[in-house]
Amino acid sequence: MLELNNVWKVFENRQGRKEVLRGIHASFRRGQHVGILGRNGAGKSTLLRVLAGVEAPTRGNIRRSMSISWPLGGGYGIHTSLTGIANARFIARLYGLPLQRTEEFVADFSELGPYFHEPVKSYSSGMRSRLLMALSFAVDFECYLVDEALSAGDARFANKCLEVFGIRRQNAAMIMISHNASHVKRYCDTAAILRNGMLEFYEDVDEAIAAYQGL
Amino acid sequence: MIGDVPRREQMSPAAAQLGVISGLFIREMLTRVGRSRLGILWLMAEPIILSTMISMLHWLSRSDLPNGLPVFLFYAMSYVPFMMFRSIVNRGSGSIQANISLLHHNRITLLDVTLARNLMEMMVCATVIALYMLVATLFLDEPPHEPALFVFGLLLSALLANGLSMVIGSAQVVWEWIEHLVHPFTYLMLPISAAFFMLSAMPPATRELLLWNPLVHVHEMNRWAMFGDRVTPYYDISYVLLWALLLNLVGMAGLRVARPRLSISD
Repeated sequence: MLELNNVWKVFENRQGRKEVLRGIHASFRRGQHVGILGRNGAGKSTLLRVLAGVEAPTRGNIRRSMSISWPLGGGYGIHTSLTGIANARFIARLYGLPLQRTEEFVADFSELGPYFHEPVKSYSSGMRSRLLMALSFAVDFECYLVDEALSAGDARFANKCLEVFGIRRQNAAMIMISHNASHVKRYCDTAAILRNGMLEFYEDVDEAIAAYQGL
Repeated sequence: MIGDVPRREQMSPAAAQLGVISGLFIREMLTRVGRSRLGILWLMAEPIILSTMISMLHWLSRSDLPNGLPVFLFYAMSYVPFMMFRSIVNRGSGSIQANISLLHHNRITLLDVTLARNLMEMMVCATVIALYMLVATLFLDEPPHEPALFVFGLLLSALLANGLSMVIGSAQVVWEWIEHLVHPFTYLMLPISAAFFMLSAMPPATRELLLWNPLVHVHEMNRWAMFGDRVTPYYDISYVLLWALLLNLVGMAGLRVARPRLSISD
């Protein structure tokens, strides 16, 4: 369970105060796949970082009784000067996973071939996102926070990610943020719209998409 | 195959913390060593080159040390610990911003990052010191008097530097301009830390003044640990420990204050 109770996030900058999140109420359960739609600058990434517990809310509180992934996307949590295998070992040590098993899993899932032993900075963006997803799937998180990362791979790899989420469904939740309605339709069962710093939930993905496109 | 994921091992919070620090430590080492096989040597090259140069200068200028103290070792053995102190403190400035992307993993705290980085710095200098001790014993007939005490001294200055690096790093989150004072500060520390002179050669009034600086105690102690009774050291371990404790406590509190102010956004 991941519960947010009246969560606010305010940034102070030269132009004054900017209220990015203005009282978010939400709860996410295991097995739920929730898409969060929002225009650019709506505060989606901020929300994801607050959910991940890497940025503190200005006000309000968050209760976490699931193990939550780091925000997956944009290469967060990958060290580009290190090789793929060194990244896998880093994650294994960080999250207390058996080293060799993790290396095998990441090598196998990411399909990087010989590039697994090359520095990440030599990777294409598709390869990076494959490594990122493999690293995060190597840890049995109970909740995955996805920042449109799934979109970077090709269709076959996207299907593979879907398959993993299918297998982990009973145990794992996924919260995906996107400005792209078709991604949300593909991966999620329910959806919400982040607008004016508040989150509106919809039972039905199509309903949410219709409301989002009407914005 | 896809469903068969690596399972996390059950472990205590302390073991988990150690896992995080060792992961960060290895990452730090890989980043600094680079991919070449000689990387590990390059890591030690900087302290070796600098301390050799400084010591050579003093040796060539025929500085006279009392009681037949070896000129080269005298300067080299003081300069390496001071360099460790300086580089830990200098690296402490700006280290939070430089490592901010690590904080995307919510199990990594600022303290973990600091400890891993400073541990690395300490191990490099400890290796160089061990190397010099070996050279002193084998070739210069100058076996260290109390090598364990020297290691303890190294640990003390690492602790002081660790605390100070946290204080500076966290203060910088609030006041960015502090960054500009760090290098002048560490630069000016050299002449007042008794790395290159002995307190016994100072007039009593100056000596008393210098003894306010905890680093002076460390360097005096290290010298005795190296050369034994050929030097008359002035030091008080409890005074250094008090400073180390204070700096580390204030530093850790500072990191706690700094953390919620940080924005991880790119």
